[in-house]
Amino acid sequence: MTTAAAPSRFRRTHRESGTDDTSVPARRRFTPWLLIAPGGLWLLVFFIIPLVSLGVLSLEDGGISNYSNVISDNATVIIRTFIYATIATIAAIAIGYPLAYVIATKGGKYKNLLLALVVLPFFVTYLVRTLSWKILLFDGGPVVGVLQSIGILNENQSVLGSPFAVIAALTYNFLPFMVLPIYVSLEKIDWRLIDAAADLYSSPARAFRKITFRLSLPGLFAGTLLTFIPAAGDFVNSELLGSDRTVMIGNIIEKNFGKEFFRPELSALSFMLMAIILVGVIFYARILGTEEIV
Amino acid sequence: MTNPIDPKILEAMDQHRTTRRRFLGMGGLALGGLALGPTLLAACSSDSNSSGGGGGSNSITMLNWPLYIEGDDPSTSATLKNFAASTGIKVDYRNSIDGNESFNTKYQATLEKGNGIGADLIVLTSWNAAAYIGANLVQPLDSAVFPNKKNVISRLANPSWDPGRTKSIPWAVGQTGIAYWPDKVGGKITDVNALFNPQFKGKVTILDEMRDTVGLTMLGMGTNPATGTTTQMLAAVDKIEKARDAGQFKKVTGNSYTEDLALGDTWIAVAWSGDVAQLQADNPGLEWVIPSQGGMLWVDNAMIPVGAKNPEGANKLLNYVYDPAVAGPLYESILYIPPVTGAEQYMTPAAQASPFIVPPATPPLYEFDVISPDVAEEVERAFVAATEQ
Repeated sequence: MTTAAAPSRFRRTHRESGTDDTSVPARRRFTPWLLIAPGGLWLLVFFIIPLVSLGVLSLEDGGISNYSNVISDNATVIIRTFIYATIATIAAIAIGYPLAYVIATKGGKYKNLLLALVVLPFFVTYLVRTLSWKILLFDGGPVVGVLQSIGILNENQSVLGSPFAVIAALTYNFLPFMVLPIYVSLEKIDWRLIDAAADLYSSPARAFRKITFRLSLPGLFAGTLLTFIPAAGDFVNSELLGSDRTVMIGNIIEKNFGKEFFRPELSALSFMLMAIILVGVIFYARILGTEEIV
Repeated sequence: MTNPIDPKILEAMDQHRTTRRRFLGMGGLALGGLALGPTLLAACSSDSNSSGGGGGSNSITMLNWPLYIEGDDPSTSATLKNFAASTGIKVDYRNSIDGNESFNTKYQATLEKGNGIGADLIVLTSWNAAAYIGANLVQPLDSAVFPNKKNVISRLANPSWDPGRTKSIPWAVGQTGIAYWPDKVGGKITDVNALFNPQFKGKVTILDEMRDTVGLTMLGMGTNPATGTTTQMLAAVDKIEKARDAGQFKKVTGNSYTEDLALGDTWIAVAWSGDVAQLQADNPGLEWVIPSQGGMLWVDNAMIPVGAKNPEGANKLLNYVYDPAVAGPLYESILYIPPVTGAEQYMTPAAQASPFIVPPATPPLYEFDVISPDVAEEVERAFVAATEQ
C-alpha cells in the first residue's frame, strides 16, 4: 500500500533476481518461511481455527436456514449498522482529509506535534473516551443547553440516545485511523508535480484533482477500511450513547451470544457481517481503481 | 427518604463501585472470544485445575460473584479470616463469576464430562442452578457437616427444582424494583405501571434481563411471575414491545442504566437493589421502591460441583456462613438480603431498617418461575425481538 508510485520495472527486476534460487544456499530459501512462521502460526491458531469453528457453529441446529432467519429477524439492524458505518466513514473523510492535508503541507516544523495531537486521544481508554461523551451530551449538559438556546433542539429533545450521538462518536473514535494513512500518502507526494502542473497552466483545483488526490488514494482507501470495518462491528458507542433504536449488529451479538440457543444464528450473523464487508471492500477497491495504485 | 444505611458501609461500598452486574457487562466483551476456542478454554481450565483447588483437606476454592463478601476482598474479609482461624481451612476465594451465561460457556462442558473445574464451591442464579442440578453437575450437600442448613429462611427452603435444598443453598438474595427521581416525576411512585405511563415517555429505562423486566411487567398486568404460564409471559413481552414502539423507553439496557439514572436523564428505571444502595450514596434524592403489586427477587445459590477436591471443606464453609451470628455482619456489609434465619438480630439497627437488607413483608417479592429450557428460549427470543430488533 505504501509503494504507491513504484515503477513496475523495478519490481520485475527484483523478482527476476529472486527466482534465481539455484545460486542461493538452501538455508536462505527457508528464511522467508521462517520469518512468516510466527505470524502465520498466530493467525492459524487465533484466527483461522476460531473462524472455522464459528462457521461450523453457524450451521448447527437450523443449517443454512440460520442465515435466512437471522437476516429476516435483523433486517432493520443490519441496514442501520451499514448506514451508521457509512455516514461515520464519510464524516471521517470530510474531517480527516483536510486535516491530514494541512498537516502534510502546512505543518512545517509542527508536523510531529500535530500528528501527536491526532493520536493523543488513543492514550485514553476507548471506554473512558466514549463515556466522557455521555457527560457532554446528557440532557442537563453543555451541548444540549447550547442547542436548545439557539433553537435547534426543543425542550424535550435529547442528543444522548439519538443516532446522531452514536454516529458522531463512531466518527470521533475512528478518526485517527483515517487521518494517519491519508497523511502518509500525502506526505510522500513530490510537490514539484504541482509546480509542474502550474507551469503547464493547470488551475490549483485541477492540479489537486488530477495529482494530489489521485496520489493520496491509497491512503484514503486504507483509511476508509480502517474506519468502516471497525465502525460496522462496533457495539460500544451504541451501547453507551445510543438507545434501543440505535442497536447495531455488534450489540445484538454482544448481548445474546451467551444464550446457547442463539449461538448458531449469531455466528451466522457474524459471518454475514464479514461477507458484506468483504464484498463492499472489493467493490470499493474497483471503484477507486486501487489495484493499480496500491 | 433519609438514608437508612450506616455511612461507613456506604463508604466501604464506594471503594468498590464496580457492581456485580457491571462485571457482567465487561465479561460480555471477553465472551465472544471465549466462546470460540473450546480447545483453548479446556487448556485454560485444566491450568486452573493445577493452580487452583490443589489443597488437601486444609483449603477450598470458591468461585463467586463480585461484591459477595466484605469489601469484595478475600484477604481482609472477616468471614473468611475467622473461618480460617476456627477451622484451619484456607479459602482460595475468587470473585470471578461475571454472569451465568459466561460461566456456562467457560465451565459447563468440563463439568458435563465429569471433570473438576478446580473449584469446591460455585454460585449460580436459581434458573441456572436448576439446570446444573438437573444435569447432575453438582454434588449433594452433607447435612452432617452442614447442620446449619436448617437455618435457611423458609421462603427459600423448598424450591421446586431442589426440594429440601439437598444440593444448593442460597448465598445472596437481591431485589429488582424501581428507582426514580421524585422531583422529576412529580411525587411518589408506588404503581409498577408507572413504567408504562405515557407521561414519562422517553424517560424510562428497562433492563435487558428478561426475568427482571418481564417479571415486573407481569405484576403490573395482575399475573404472577412465579407461576405464570407461557402465554402470560408472552403477553407481558407484547406489552413491552408496544410501549417500546410508542417510544416509552429511553433505553433497554444492562449495567449502564445506572449512568443515565445518576445523570438524571432517566426519571424511572427498573433497577437492582445493590446498585441503588450505592447510587443513593452520591444521589440522596434518588428513591427506591418495591411497587405495590410486588417486586422481583433473585437468588444466587452456592453448590459443590462434580470433581470438587474438598467437598467437606465446602460444607464447613457453608455451615459457618449459615451461623446467624456470622451471617448478620456479612450481609450487613454486602447489602443483600440474608438467606439465614435470625441473621438480622446480629445487625446494627441501621442495617435492620434498610429496605435493601431487610425488605418489609409487603409488598411481596417474587422469584421468576424456573421455566423449562424450551419455554425460556421462546420467551427470551420474543423478548429480544421486542426490545432489540
